[in-house]
Amino acid sequence: MAPPRGEVLQGTLDLIVLQTLQAMGPLHGYGIARRVQQVSEDLLKLNQGTLYPALLRLEQRGWISSKWGASENNRKAKYYSLTRAGRKQLLAETESWERMTALMARLLGDTEGG
Amino acid sequence: MEWLRVFGARLRGLFRKRYLDGDLDAELRAHVEMLVEENIRRGMSPVEARYAARREFGGVEQSKELHREQRSIPFLDALLEDLRFALRGLRNRPGFALVAILTLSLGIGSTTAVFSVVDRLLFRSLPYPHDQELVSFGDKAPFEANEFVLGPDYVDWKKGQTPFESVTSVVPGGADCDLTEKNPVRLKCALVESTFLPTFEIQPFLGRNFTSDEDRPHAPRVALVSYGLWRSRFASDRHLPGRTIALDGKPTVVVGVLPPQFEMPNLGHDDILLPAALDGSTARGPNARQIILRAFARLKPGITIKQAAAAMEPLFQRSLDYVPPQFQHEVSFRVRSLRDRQIQDARVASWVLLGAVLAVLLVACTNVANLLLARATSRVRELAVRTALGATRGRLARQSLTESLLLGLLGGLAGCWFAQFLLRFFVSIAPDGIPRLEQASVDVRVLLFTLGVSLLSGVLFGLASALGRPAPELLVGKETRATSRGMLRQVLVTVQMAVSLILLAGAGLLLRSLWKLETVSLGMDTKSVITAGINLAEYRYPDSAKQLAFFDQVEARLKRMPGTTALALSDSLPPSGGMQATFLSSLEIPGHTKFSAGTGGMIGYRFVTPGYFPALGIPILRGRGFSEEDRAPAKRPVILSEALAKKLFPNGEDPLGKSFRFGLQTEWHTIVGVAGDVKNNGLAAPPDPEFYIPWKNETAGYFRSGNLIVQSAIHSDAIAKWIRSETAAVDPTVPVTIEVMKARVGKLARQPRFTAVLLSLFAGMGVLLAGIGIYGVVGFLVVQQTREIGIRIALGATPRNVLRMVLSNMVRWTVAGAALGLLGAWLCSRLLESLLFEVRAHDPFLLCAALLVLLAVAFLAAWIPARKAIHVDPMIALRYE
Repeated sequence: MAPPRGEVLQGTLDLIVLQTLQAMGPLHGYGIARRVQQVSEDLLKLNQGTLYPALLRLEQRGWISSKWGASENNRKAKYYSLTRAGRKQLLAETESWERMTALMARLLGDTEGG
Repeated sequence: MEWLRVFGARLRGLFRKRYLDGDLDAELRAHVEMLVEENIRRGMSPVEARYAARREFGGVEQSKELHREQRSIPFLDALLEDLRFALRGLRNRPGFALVAILTLSLGIGSTTAVFSVVDRLLFRSLPYPHDQELVSFGDKAPFEANEFVLGPDYVDWKKGQTPFESVTSVVPGGADCDLTEKNPVRLKCALVESTFLPTFEIQPFLGRNFTSDEDRPHAPRVALVSYGLWRSRFASDRHLPGRTIALDGKPTVVVGVLPPQFEMPNLGHDDILLPAALDGSTARGPNARQIILRAFARLKPGITIKQAAAAMEPLFQRSLDYVPPQFQHEVSFRVRSLRDRQIQDARVASWVLLGAVLAVLLVACTNVANLLLARATSRVRELAVRTALGATRGRLARQSLTESLLLGLLGGLAGCWFAQFLLRFFVSIAPDGIPRLEQASVDVRVLLFTLGVSLLSGVLFGLASALGRPAPELLVGKETRATSRGMLRQVLVTVQMAVSLILLAGAGLLLRSLWKLETVSLGMDTKSVITAGINLAEYRYPDSAKQLAFFDQVEARLKRMPGTTALALSDSLPPSGGMQATFLSSLEIPGHTKFSAGTGGMIGYRFVTPGYFPALGIPILRGRGFSEEDRAPAKRPVILSEALAKKLFPNGEDPLGKSFRFGLQTEWHTIVGVAGDVKNNGLAAPPDPEFYIPWKNETAGYFRSGNLIVQSAIHSDAIAKWIRSETAAVDPTVPVTIEVMKARVGKLARQPRFTAVLLSLFAGMGVLLAGIGIYGVVGFLVVQQTREIGIRIALGATPRNVLRMVLSNMVRWTVAGAALGLLGAWLCSRLLESLLFEVRAHDPFLLCAALLVLLAVAFLAAWIPARKAIHVDPMIALRYE
């Protein structure tokens, strides 16, 4: 069964963005969108415009910070980078996510086995 | 704490809107451009690439909108938007804004100023903790405004009472006393019981209260010093308690300093509190019934004033047994709150002024509501467009309310400034007319009140236009008419007229009463009369011989003063009260029966020198005045006032030569003359009958204080200087209070004048505002009906027809307003009754006068714009559309 191409849950998008910035270092919005698409192999259909309110939300919470800079093509672009608080948040969320998936895996495994 | 950070970020987002919008724009554009470049690299044509990029990105505008919502606080954002819009609207119509704000500032400013005065009288707590529990209690008798308690009764009541937590007493009147150290000063001392501070829950600022042991006869003298005296005289010495000072020449130990905000329950600011030193034995001694006290108490929790009065009644009834039978039915028992005792008759005046000023505010709000409605009518098209574009009715109402609230606040701001100015004016016309006026100021509490009033009036006048229904169908037609609102405006004008008429009628009553009061016949001639009050210090003039000598010397010196046409000494002065008095029932004439079963009312008497009658221009109606020989100790002549003569000899007997005795005195006086009646009880109250006894050359009298009366052709300033230098030549330490008699009399009318002037001022404002309102409404109607008027004129209507058409409406509302106002005035003037002097509350002449004034103003206000209608040029009017 092919996995459904779902809408992105809000909390999930936050986690994806934080993880992307952790892995790639400072990145502009376009870069983040590209990276999300590559990693998810287009499984996640991201409406790129919705990325920006999410970025703003993360910034307001102090998890990422932004700065204007120049892109590879020498175009002016806003670069986002992870803050210390963001790193901590990512760690916490990853942990809780892992716990969740482990739980789900056990739960689903049990159902299939029984 | 995270929400706080987010909130802060959002709050910041509220204000850098334009910058942030640009930022977002640039960021999104960059993103789309990168997408386009990527697509081109993949081999799409530029047009195709751009198209694909757009699709991939999604809606740019939706994204922006989402971003904006995330960025700030939507509710505040809309409010700021509304405020900005409202400000722009006001800037675009500066004339409208100015008129509205001015009108409001008149209303709100007057309200603020009056509130800051009456707040202290009616609402603000007195400077004592739990002030609502404090009461004053005692006997109420017809000859005394405030309740009092006699010495022995006080002791009994204090012991037997149940409703009070604690009871205390003050010796009335206080006394002058002298600090007799180097640089002696005259001070005001009050005698209080040791329970005084505890009952009022006042903690001394320094030191302690005096103990009950110190509050006994013959105890070592102790004193409490006021904060003001401590600062000015004792240089804020923190070690003052324990020090000994010389008071009236006697060593007195200061035990404490009173707190800064301390005031006596009679609003006095005495410098020193001394123990009253009344113990059970003094208060039961032979002269105890002559000891008069003011009693105060703190109610037990949960006890009302009524319950307290009922609980005290048996004690009072028992005390009545000691009262001579003729007094018994004239004396009753009274308990009232300390506030009531303090403000006395200022309560009615306060409520009247507050009511009047709220009426002015109402008229002002009505005016602004009218202005807003007029503007809404001219903005109907704009509102219709906005409705058509999807603005909800709620959104438009909110917008319109924001605007009126903004106007209200601006008006309040201007009003605060106006209030300061008014308050200064109030103080200048009534320095001692209204209690606590000198403390009135625009402070935080008053400002909060003003803020509330501003917002409330904003809602009030904004409501009419906010609730108006926007009508998109108007976009279709050309005619922009709003008949229902026209109706509302007329109702508003009617209300204004009614309120103004009530104000006018009230002001008319008070002014007429004031005029009567100021022209009331005093029975004497105060022209070119100057008085000088002298109060001799006890420590310098301990006995009557010395006192008499002082006054004799001063009299002799002043007689030599040039320009003096008459000179007199007396122990008291008309027309204010404060003379010595006895009861009619205590008067005796050989061969006559007792004059009265009860007390018979008060009979006043004065000690005067022979010059008294000529100096004050009091006519001697029969017999003769006093001569210098009458001042010899052996002579005992007396002069009656006409009213007293009629009372004592009702059957037309000749009083001259008859003998007469009063009070507890044993000597008989011979009646030598009858003088004209003189006001002696204030201006408004009917005069008490009185009699005159010569100021003698003997030491038996009590002359610590006296008044010099000088009638002179010379300017008062020169006389004043002369009197001062002559008394100083006798004794430079004696303070002299010099007053021009006319001003002294004028002072008595101060409180009525204050109320009358203020009410007239507010009535004037009300009428002016109502006039402006009528002017606005009629003018607006004329402009609206220009086309109709033009057609009528083109069809042959005469100017008279046009005028009738325009004014007929006006006449209808005016009549309605006048009728309502007359009804209101009839009902409201009842409330003024206690403030009136020799004027009936329902004076038809005054009502008519008020009505005429209002009609004149209304007609004038309507006439000016109506005249424009006659001169409408039909050609221009028809081309108008």
